[in-house]
Formats: sequence, structure tokens, C-alpha cells
Amino acid sequence: MESKNIKQGRGRMFRRIAGVAWKVAGALLLLVIAGCSMTIDSVTQPSAINAGDVLPVTLNVTITTNTAQTQNFMVAVLVPKVWKAAQNATITFTSDITSGDQGMTVIPAGTAAPNGGGLDWPTYLAGKIGNGGNLLPDYEWVAFYSNTSYSVAGNATIHATVSIKIKTSPDNLLFKLGYCVANSVDGLSSSDRYGSKFTNCFQSIGTGDLIDFCNPQLANIDPRTSLDNDIISLTFDGGVQSTPLDNASQVYLCISGITDGGDSLSVCTQTDQTKMTALGLNKWSKDIWPRKLFSLTDNQHLTGLRYWFTDASGGNKVGYAGTQDPFIYTFKCQ
Amino acid sequence: MNKLLIILTICAAGLFACKPEHLILPGEPVKQLSGNWQIIKATRNGTDLTARFDFSHFRIHFADSSYTIDSLVPFIVSKNGKWAFDNPAYPFSISFQPADSTAKRSPLLYPVTNGQRNVIITFSPGCSQNTYQYTLQKAN
Repeated sequence: MESKNIKQGRGRMFRRIAGVAWKVAGALLLLVIAGCSMTIDSVTQPSAINAGDVLPVTLNVTITTNTAQTQNFMVAVLVPKVWKAAQNATITFTSDITSGDQGMTVIPAGTAAPNGGGLDWPTYLAGKIGNGGNLLPDYEWVAFYSNTSYSVAGNATIHATVSIKIKTSPDNLLFKLGYCVANSVDGLSSSDRYGSKFTNCFQSIGTGDLIDFCNPQLANIDPRTSLDNDIISLTFDGGVQSTPLDNASQVYLCISGITDGGDSLSVCTQTDQTKMTALGLNKWSKDIWPRKLFSLTDNQHLTGLRYWFTDASGGNKVGYAGTQDPFIYTFKCQ
Repeated sequence: MNKLLIILTICAAGLFACKPEHLILPGEPVKQLSGNWQIIKATRNGTDLTARFDFSHFRIHFADSSYTIDSLVPFIVSKNGKWAFDNPAYPFSISFQPADSTAKRSPLLYPVTNGQRNVIITFSPGCSQNTYQYTLQKAN
């Protein structure tokens, strides 16, 4: 009987020690996980530049450490895809714990982000940080790691100044740039482990059609870059502004294709071929294959489109900014 | 004595019952494409276009080494011609050689879904950054 009591007592003791050990291990794990917190204190960038120029951006960053850690510094930028920032951007930084400019390199595609569940950095950033309110899908996060890893002491506050230089494309565009700083150990595991900032609408003043990521568009074509042998999706968003099609029960496409020979081929009758699909809230869409819609011969190619939207009678016609001028689309690849 | 005989008989029968089995590993069958195929799913840059664009009349007929297309939609090629797998038993890509232009090659997936063999090809009919993926299935 006494022996049984001793055994039970030992069992309880063992369970208690195991319970305490788990808590201690959990606390230690938390300390290990709790590495750095980062914030972007300020972003300095011009509100507009001439397209094709180098866009200079400066980020002031504060890093606060809880424990000593060895890590690579990560800086990511949200930019229009057309800029091809992976090839055309350079990022360096200076800090309290380093001497001189520190180089950074684009993180190779497919490199898994820490604590990212297998996602690579661009996908992880898009899911976690978002798109900054850019309305067209042709944006991308481009992430850079410092070329060397740094050992940072515990309970330290470090200031870093990040210099970003992006050679822009000749495109005429409005875009909300985004920035993120993190490290190669914590990734984006919790909101205090990284810093992010989006800016107001930035303008790259170029030539050609305006690519407006900032403002809702009455009409839009997806993909933004295509050729006449692509399937393109045209959208009319009547919710953006009041137009003569506010009360239309059906909206049709009225479209002209401009050939490389300078001819204008028109398809502007209200038939099933031009009938748009209602998406709700006065939004309509139509997917077309230009080569078939305009019955192009093998030797004919389109350089662009001019298009409007009409009601079933064809009497009410809406073009660019609600006027009678056409929306314009240029066929080109990046 | 009788027991001994019975045991010996069983052992002898057991010995004769054993004979080496010549195992022949099954060979990987050559993937067959012969017949008419239709598009059951189409995506552009990951966006599903299947219900938004009329792919229903498109047919591609594969014979031994040639193909013919009916009711063309944006596709890897737009003219009839010859086709070939990179490896007939383990194909990873398929090439289309139209009669009047250069060959186009597409990565190939060959999964069985709901008991039906599917062929998935990936290509860019317009700009190279616009990627289309069509899932083809045998048409009845």
C-alpha cells in the first residue's frame, strides 16, 4: 500500500516537472523567436519624375533587437511590372553598425521566405503586405537581401538609411509605390517583425497611354500588354462616374481595330458578338480575340484599338472619361 | 511410420511446388494522343477564361504524327501540321510543327482526372508574358 502511494507521488512529481519544463522551453523558444522589430520611419521620394529617369528613394529605418541574432537585411519595393525592377533597381544602405555603403542583391526567384509556409518573397509580400491600393494587377514586389549577414546584439536600437535607385521605363503612369523592410530570420512572421509603407500616387511622366494604377477607370483592358492574338478582357465600370449608360439594361462594345497598314476596321453593331456580360453594380465585361473579331488575314496585324460602349439602340455612346472620344489601347509587349 | 511418410510426402510436394517465377516488369505504355480533343479548361495568367470565352467548338485531331485544328481559338499554333513528344513513354513536352512556320514547343502534363485522360499544355499566343494553360480532354 505504502509502495503504491510512493509510486503515485513520484508520478505526480514527474508530471509537474514535465509541465514546468514545457513552460520553460516555450518561454525560451519565444525568446529565440523574438528577434528584431523594424519600422520605416520615413520615405523620401519625388512626387513625379520624367519617365526613363532614375527614381531616387530614401528610407529611414529603425531596428530594435530583443536578442542577439545573425541575419540578412531584406528590403522590398512594390513597383509596376513594366519597370522590371529586378534588373533595373539598385539598393544599398548605411547603418550604425556598418561602415560605408552595404550592397544588396535581388533574392533569386523561388527562394522560400522565412516563416512563409514555402512561399517565395514576392508572393509572401503580396499576401501579407498587399498592393497598396493599386487598382491594376500589373504590379510586383521585388525583394533584395543584403549581400552579407550581420550579427546584431540584443537590446540594441539600430538606425539604417536605405537608398533605392530604380531606372524607370518610358511609360506614362500613376502608381502607389510600396516599401517593406524585414530580415532573413523572422520574415513577416508578425506585424512588429517588419516595417512597411505605401506612398501617395506617384507619377512617371512619359509618352503613350496613361497607365493609371491610382484612380478607378471607366474602362480597362486586361492584360495591359498584349498582341492581337491574345484574348483580351474589356471592362466598363459605370460605377466610376455618371454616364448615359447609367440605366442601360444592356451594354454593347463598339470597337475599331487599327491595322499596321493604317486601316480602321470597325465592329459597332449591337449583336451577340459585341454584347457585354453584366457583372453587377453597373459593371460590364467582354472577352474578345481581336484577330477573329476583325476577321484579320494572316498578313494583317493590329497596332491598337479605339473603343466605346453603347446601349442596345446604339444611340447612347460613352468614350474616354464619359465623352465621345474613344478609349485607346495600344498592342505591345513589355 | 505413417506419420513420417506423410511428412516426407508433404515436404516433397512442397519442394516441387516451388519454382522460380520470372518477373517481367511492366513497360511504361506509349502515351496515346490519337483522336479528337476539346478544351475543358482555359486560363490566362491564372485567370479562368473557360466560361468567359467560347472554346466549345475548338477541336484538335491528333493522328500518328499530324494534327488538324477546327474552329481555331488563340492556340500555340494556328495552322495544321506535325506533332511529336520529346519522349513517347515519358513525355514532358509536345512540339507542334505547322506546315508553314517554325515549331512551337509546350510543357506537357498528362494527368488522369475522374477516370479521364487530360492533356495540359502551356503557351503564349501573343505577348510572351501572357501565359495560357489549356486542359484538353477527348471529345465524344
